[in-house]
Amino acid sequence: MRKLVAALVVCCGFALADSMGAIAIRNAKIVPVSGPVISKGTVIIRNGLIEAVGENPPLPPDAWIVDGEGMTVYPGLIDALSTVGMPGAAPVAATAGRGGGRGQTTTPPVAQPAPVTTTTAAPPARGPEDRPNTSSWVLAADEIQATDRRIETVRGAGFTTTVTYPTRGIFAGQGSILDLVTSDRTGDMVVAPAVGQYISFTRTPGASIFGSFPSSLMGYIAYVRQIYLDAEHYKLVKDAYARNPRGIERPAYDRALEGVLASKRILLPANRLVEVDRMLRFAAELKQPAILYGMREGYRPEAAPLLKKYGAPVLVSLKWSEAPRDPDPEAVETMRNLQNIDQGPSTPALLQKAGVTFAFYTDGIDQPRELQRAVKKALDAGLAREDAIRALTLSPAEIYGVSDRMGSIEAGKIANLVVTKGELFDANTRVEMIFVDGKQYKPAPEPPQSGGRGQVGETPEVNR
Amino acid sequence: MRLLSVLIGCALSAAAASNDTLLIRGADVYPVTAAEQKGVSILIQDGKIAAIGPKVAAPKGVRVVEAKGLRVYPGIMDSATQLGLSEISGVRETVDTGELGEFMPQLRAIASVNSDSEHFGVARVNGVTSAIAYPAGAAGGGRSGAPRQYISGQAALIHTAGWTWEDMAIRPSVALWMRFPTVGRGGRGGAVPDYIAEMLGETGAAGTYTEMLRTYREELSKLSDFFEQARRYQKARAAGAPGFVRDLKYEAMLPALEGKLPVVISAEMPRAIHDAIEFAEKQNIKIVILGPVELGNTGAELKKNNIPLILGKVLALPNTEDDPYDQAFTLPVEAYKAGVKFAFGTFENQFVRNLPYEAAAAVAFGLPQEEALKAITINPAEIWGVAGEMGSIEPGKVADLMVTTGDPLEIQTEVKHVYVRGREIELANKQTRLYERYSNRQ
Amino acid sequence: MKTRIRIAVLAGVAALGWPGFGLKIAAAETIVIQNATILTVTQGTVHGSLVVKDGKIAEVGEKVMVPQGADIMDAAGQYVIPGIIDCHSHIAVDGSVNEGSTSVSSMVDIRDVINPEDIAIYRALAGGVTTANILHGSANAIGGKTLVLKMRWGKDAQSMIFEGAVPGIKFALGENPKRAGNPPGGRGFSVQPVTARYPATRMGVEDTIREALNQAKSYKADWDAYRAKVAHGEQPIPPRKDLKLEALEEVLEGKRYVHAHCYVADEILMLLRVADDYGFKIRTLQHVLEGYKVADEIKAHGAGASTFSDWWAYKEEAYDAIPYNAAILQKKGVVVSLNSDDAELMRHLNTEAAKVMKYGGLSETEALAMVTINPARQLGIDKRVGSIEPGKDADLVIYDKYPLSDYAKVEKVLIDGTVYFDRDKEVSGRPAKELEKKKLIDKQKPSEPRPRTGGGRGSE
Repeated sequence: MRKLVAALVVCCGFALADSMGAIAIRNAKIVPVSGPVISKGTVIIRNGLIEAVGENPPLPPDAWIVDGEGMTVYPGLIDALSTVGMPGAAPVAATAGRGGGRGQTTTPPVAQPAPVTTTTAAPPARGPEDRPNTSSWVLAADEIQATDRRIETVRGAGFTTTVTYPTRGIFAGQGSILDLVTSDRTGDMVVAPAVGQYISFTRTPGASIFGSFPSSLMGYIAYVRQIYLDAEHYKLVKDAYARNPRGIERPAYDRALEGVLASKRILLPANRLVEVDRMLRFAAELKQPAILYGMREGYRPEAAPLLKKYGAPVLVSLKWSEAPRDPDPEAVETMRNLQNIDQGPSTPALLQKAGVTFAFYTDGIDQPRELQRAVKKALDAGLAREDAIRALTLSPAEIYGVSDRMGSIEAGKIANLVVTKGELFDANTRVEMIFVDGKQYKPAPEPPQSGGRGQVGETPEVNR
Repeated sequence: MRLLSVLIGCALSAAAASNDTLLIRGADVYPVTAAEQKGVSILIQDGKIAAIGPKVAAPKGVRVVEAKGLRVYPGIMDSATQLGLSEISGVRETVDTGELGEFMPQLRAIASVNSDSEHFGVARVNGVTSAIAYPAGAAGGGRSGAPRQYISGQAALIHTAGWTWEDMAIRPSVALWMRFPTVGRGGRGGAVPDYIAEMLGETGAAGTYTEMLRTYREELSKLSDFFEQARRYQKARAAGAPGFVRDLKYEAMLPALEGKLPVVISAEMPRAIHDAIEFAEKQNIKIVILGPVELGNTGAELKKNNIPLILGKVLALPNTEDDPYDQAFTLPVEAYKAGVKFAFGTFENQFVRNLPYEAAAAVAFGLPQEEALKAITINPAEIWGVAGEMGSIEPGKVADLMVTTGDPLEIQTEVKHVYVRGREIELANKQTRLYERYSNRQ
Repeated sequence: MKTRIRIAVLAGVAALGWPGFGLKIAAAETIVIQNATILTVTQGTVHGSLVVKDGKIAEVGEKVMVPQGADIMDAAGQYVIPGIIDCHSHIAVDGSVNEGSTSVSSMVDIRDVINPEDIAIYRALAGGVTTANILHGSANAIGGKTLVLKMRWGKDAQSMIFEGAVPGIKFALGENPKRAGNPPGGRGFSVQPVTARYPATRMGVEDTIREALNQAKSYKADWDAYRAKVAHGEQPIPPRKDLKLEALEEVLEGKRYVHAHCYVADEILMLLRVADDYGFKIRTLQHVLEGYKVADEIKAHGAGASTFSDWWAYKEEAYDAIPYNAAILQKKGVVVSLNSDDAELMRHLNTEAAKVMKYGGLSETEALAMVTINPARQLGIDKRVGSIEPGKDADLVIYDKYPLSDYAKVEKVLIDGTVYFDRDKEVSGRPAKELEKKKLIDKQKPSEPRPRTGGGRGSE
């Protein structure tokens, strides 16, 4: 009877869900991340927030009981750098995880190459004053398309939250923290609209050096430097003008600079050790708090001390360097690549040991099984499971300054939970339920594997 | 009787007055194929070496070149150049290599040689008396968008001095030049600077092995088909079948099919070398391997089949990032130790004069000096089938010689005289003329 | 551990040559190089010994005082020369060396893209180069900012920078900077069609340079006015800092050396006159293959010339190049160096130097100077490097034979008194290196062939 009522209730859709009372997940193992594991306990959520968590918290009378026997509750996973929700931004796998042999320019895996020719055939940029490939004022929150099917896919892997960035261009715009609820109003998804400016140095492969400015890595760096000099000057002039406009020439409105000034931190690409060194110094020169993303060579012994010295947190890509499939037997990989492949997955363990703050990002991997395998690689290379979980929950929340409201299972925080059968990141673990902002979702059925697993669980899907 | 001797004397004087008869007196002669002889003389008659020895004297009226304290070596032969075929590599109109077409055995480099190219003057003053002028394939092998070329034409062996290409020709058709298909990209990945590769849009991997293998097999099949067509033509021609029509392309293949003309095949990596040898066996042709970058374990195979190598620049970067820095420097000594015959080529016009110094670089890294000298004199002569006429200082051979102040492989050595077919070459060229002119600027 | 063994081990680690900084290179030891033929370049040839202490050359002589605990390097039969200085190089740069999108790209800086893990650095070391002038390319009339590096293989980017060397900037004349103004169809440099970029002729190149310097003059005037106001105790809003013009302001003030790529006589002369007009000196003319035609003018202006030994005929503007160029300029009193502009050529600048003995009859010392003290003078670092004199940096190269012979090869290279290249260690370390690589290759071979599944998700 209960099951029938539950099915009816849930099938009736959203409004009902909203006006529903509390939900209590009982008798589950709970991994709060911010505190010790509770081997058998209860999490109570109401109105999108966690009301209580503990071994035996008092159950509210209107609580809908969910039997958590044999399951584990984790904080919902956070993808620290994503393009989920951005229009037309299929994740670019491009040269992710490879290369870096002969001083190639960085190609951070999540970035989009800037379009070389626009439909209106604009003249090529000839200098920083043309503000090439710059849309620093863009906020991901304003561009979200709720119809992005990846929202569902990624949620099925246990992610309740993505830090979604626009990634086109040099100054792509600011990222926003999104909770992956299904809603008509994309504003419902936004947890924090402006968490950092995405900067990338991706060149369009094959673009001529005589093309648009900038066309070389040093050109990109000079451009970014000039933008910050301009921003500093712009602010000076704007403030002076605001204080007393009389007699001063009006400063021209420059939305590129406005966007840069509005960003409280920047993201810089860094895969090779040389790039880590370079970007840390660059961020210090620009006097901007920075997060480095990529970290393909983060395992090298010099990397962690450098990061500690500058106090910069990093986002580690889960797209580990892999040996090419079907390679030419006569064409041997370089030692550099071999080492990346061999030691890449040990990066998180090494960073953890050195006390460097880091979080994972999926870097275009959205299939649950691939994600599980990627994290498992890091576990096999020495990362403790609880540290892996933290790198996908509380650490990204801390890095983005929202750990006061998400990233762990604590009373008062947003009710983002993932409930699994089995321990997270084990091969046979299944995600049973996902709660985003307190709304329950069921993971989409996975395509038939060897052994074929189909629908699971009791409650039918709630999504539109 | 007296009249007769006067007449004979006059005749001899007339002969002696001709410019390809002379005596080089008192020099240290390095024949290359024999031990050196100190303080001897060489008699050159009608452009040929007539006699060498301590007692050789000049017939009456014959010009004498005093060479005490100097050395005489055979003229140097460069086994791969664009001399006469390309003037300024950056200006397309001056470049006559890189023709279109997939199978072009009928193209003849010889008749495109510009005997007045400034490059000849520059090359021969350093003792380079002969060279292979070869029809290089389309630049970059398909970069320009044209289909790749398999057979580029017939290379020529020429002297570096002469009034016309006919005058210069030693062997107008000395080898067929062929590009063999390779799996993947082949060698020298480590030498193209990134910014050049970037400018040309050359980035990225070559594709999966399966794809590369498929392309390779297609190309090989195409090449084999062409050879088969050529053989059918050969048969039809021999049989004198009615309605037989001459085909210039297949005609050009006949000497190679008959084993009379060697086929020069470019192959950089061990697998390509091995594949080329296999192809040669199947097709029953004589081959020369051009421009290997790594020998791997093909040494034994090359030696067994008597296949010689034309080595490219010794002073070249290693193939990949991890290869030892002296990979190219030690390739010649590696070939030598494997018992494989090789000669050097410069491949670029502007550096032909530096051929002896490329050879010297190999000596620095282990090649015996005599072998380096052989690789630019007698070895190429043997490889190109002219060892009976040139490549060393022996009576009967053509007088292609240089007279130097010392070891020609050493940079500081001055070349005092150069002879091509016994005629002295003026040691002046475009560059010496500009030097003189601007030295005199007040 | 005994000093000698310690050096050997550390040199061995360094010489393994795997890219990577943070290798524990020994701090400068005390070394005595004995029984060598030492070509000092500025003070003749010494048959004797050399003492290295604290990274500097302490003593040179037939007989020297051997300090306590010094590591003795027996160099019997070997030759020592100062570390070779390549005045024109593009190695150790991440990404393109050309910011070719604009004709004046002085806002970019090679300093931002130093790649200390470029294998070309190690290979240059193995060819005797200890210092290199790393330049922007020649795609534009005014290129980017440049700097001088020491080939300290194993150190990080900042540690490679030659401390105190005056920074530079690249100018380029002739065919290269006008190529983008004449985008070709079909065969040619550019693969994709691009909008033509001014200038397309040598006239335009001159105009581009003058125009930029003019703007820089204006910029300088604005900043001078601002600085004057500040000096007077005022608090004006500063002018906008413009990286492009700031670099040229430094040129006008003589604080940034101009290294100008040029070929033919008319453009060489043009640039000298432009510099005269704007009141600064061209520090070095690079390539300057027709420099011999205007040697007097170059000498009068005071520019140095950094050229090739014998390259010619690869471009129209190189058709009148002659190998006597260096000798003619030298004889006219110009400071001449020989450079490589090439990662391969820089590995044998010693033999390039030897060529001026053949072409022009220069002496052994004059020849060697062209790759040591002359480029040092041109780069303003001759107080520190370029010759073997007490007090100078211990940047040294040991050859197994006479260094100006092409039969010679480099045995050891020291920079700041530390061994950065040791051929014996390099060769003997190869089996271990190969083994290490083979281990990884074997580890990563797939254990069984993967079944071919048609794309799809998570197939395994």
